[in-house]
Amino acid sequence: MMEALPAVVPVAAARPRRQVWSVGGGKGGIGKSLLTAALGFQLARLGRRVVLVDADLGGANLHTCLGLAGPALTLGDFICRRVERIEDVLVETGVSGLRLISGASDFLGAANIKYAQKVRVLNRIRSLEVDIILLDLGAGTSFNIIDFFLVSDVGILTVVPEPTSIENGYRFIKSALYRRLRAAAPSQAVRAIVDSALDQKNPLGIRTPLDLLAVVERADPAAVPLLRKEMGAFHPRFVINQVRDPADAAIGHQLVTACARHLGVKAAYAGYVPFDDTVWRCVRQRRLFASAVPDCPSAQKVRELARGLLQGESLALTW
Amino acid sequence: MVAVLGGNHYEVLGIDARATPEQVERAYRFCLEMYGDSSIAIYSLLDADEQRRARSRVQEAYEVLRDPFRRHDYDVSQGFVRATPPMPAPPRAAAGPVPLPAPPPPAPRPPAPQVLEGPVDGATLRRCREERGISLKEIAGRTKIGVRYLEYIEADRHELLPAPVYLRGFLQEYARATGLEPRRTADAYMSRLRRHPDPTR
Ligand SMILES: Nc1ncnc2c1ncn2[C@@H]1O[C@H](COP(=O)(O)OP(=O)(O)O)[C@@H](O)[C@H]1O
Ligand SMILES: [Mg+2]
Repeated sequence: MMEALPAVVPVAAARPRRQVWSVGGGKGGIGKSLLTAALGFQLARLGRRVVLVDADLGGANLHTCLGLAGPALTLGDFICRRVERIEDVLVETGVSGLRLISGASDFLGAANIKYAQKVRVLNRIRSLEVDIILLDLGAGTSFNIIDFFLVSDVGILTVVPEPTSIENGYRFIKSALYRRLRAAAPSQAVRAIVDSALDQKNPLGIRTPLDLLAVVERADPAAVPLLRKEMGAFHPRFVINQVRDPADAAIGHQLVTACARHLGVKAAYAGYVPFDDTVWRCVRQRRLFASAVPDCPSAQKVRELARGLLQGESLALTW
Repeated sequence: MVAVLGGNHYEVLGIDARATPEQVERAYRFCLEMYGDSSIAIYSLLDADEQRRARSRVQEAYEVLRDPFRRHDYDVSQGFVRATPPMPAPPRAAAGPVPLPAPPPPAPRPPAPQVLEGPVDGATLRRCREERGISLKEIAGRTKIGVRYLEYIEADRHELLPAPVYLRGFLQEYARATGLEPRRTADAYMSRLRRHPDPTR
């Protein structure tokens, strides 16, 4: 028999501030879109209200990862003001708590939007009544992509255990950090140094952010603490996708160590996703593995990843 | 030429000054892997020459930290511990931060340590110990070597034993605590081990 419960004023669980998360990686075909879709799905399953945004303006296909047809209205329609309200391009995915803003596959010009337009888009997306906005970034290190990454509260960097992907991952980190440092540069001289660092073959011999600091130290020592502070606040989180053995998974720790020692960047290892036949079989059927086969190893790992990212946890290197 | 890997030996291996020998070993292996020829984590970040220099810096740090005596001297030179004669050398790092506690008081020793004839294996050591009525716990207490390792020594579980430099130290401690001649006992036991593969090759 049920006893009468004491009267309790229901208190809504304190929701953290609305957050923007982005999934980048610098290279195509490494699973950014699938990871975005699966992560969004798991976050929604954990009770968060999530909006996925396909920010891969040139190669949008996030809808396909979710098993949806290309929607009639996309982010491109909002960017070039064919529709006025961001809500007009928001579609349901069939998963409770998970909605989608599709990419601009129909609009070539959207791939080169101006900074002011980006700011407008982001502000409008941020105004949505949600918990997490999850951006699927395109491949490469163009300003479009990096600016989205830089304004995110959580920047996820996807790599696969292959030299090409890791090379692009480091390039992504450097490009993003230099862009951030340039914006923070207190003087024209420092800005010029950052600009020359963007050229890998620069005459100053700057190859890493640490080299950059050393050059700034000579030119304008007062600027160094400021740049250091910016570097300290830049905190990319690695996810290794398509892991085939424990050695692949261990690479995450090496990446974090290498970033700290050789780039001066404080990265974290958020987690990994195994290479899983289920994943591509589901892609072929245009179904999301995380919902179609919820118990497959990759779905489970993405669930762990979602939990860890929500808690701000990462995989620690212990001896 | 700028150092590829700056910092002291501990920083180079990415450990703190209280790391146990096992942790030194694991961190070393991690670094070897990371700066190894087939590493993809370092690819595009360091060129071949820098990678080689990083590797030799790791090796240099390891050579010192793996050896209890050299590690102690290094710790003293860096001001990590106060200078106490490293006899016996601390086979395991102490749990607390610097300075390390003073070595335990010397164990009472029988006047003439016995020299064993012929090959010495775990069973021989165990027999000697039991004849003298000494428990592993007692040896562990005197030497600060974990009972687990003493058991591995007696069981000839060579694959579980630490690197030879440590093992030699452990064996000498064991011998001393059991009334055996330390150096020759350790040599006799060590001579039965397969050559320890050099992980840098
Ligand atoms: N964990 C995985 N296991 C197996 N195949 C994967 C996995 N992740 C990605 N793939 C394959 O890689 C392809 C590209 O993924 P996608 O998310 O479209 O990459 P991106 O968005 O980075 O270009 C997928 O169609 C799938 O076949
Ligand atoms: Mg994609």
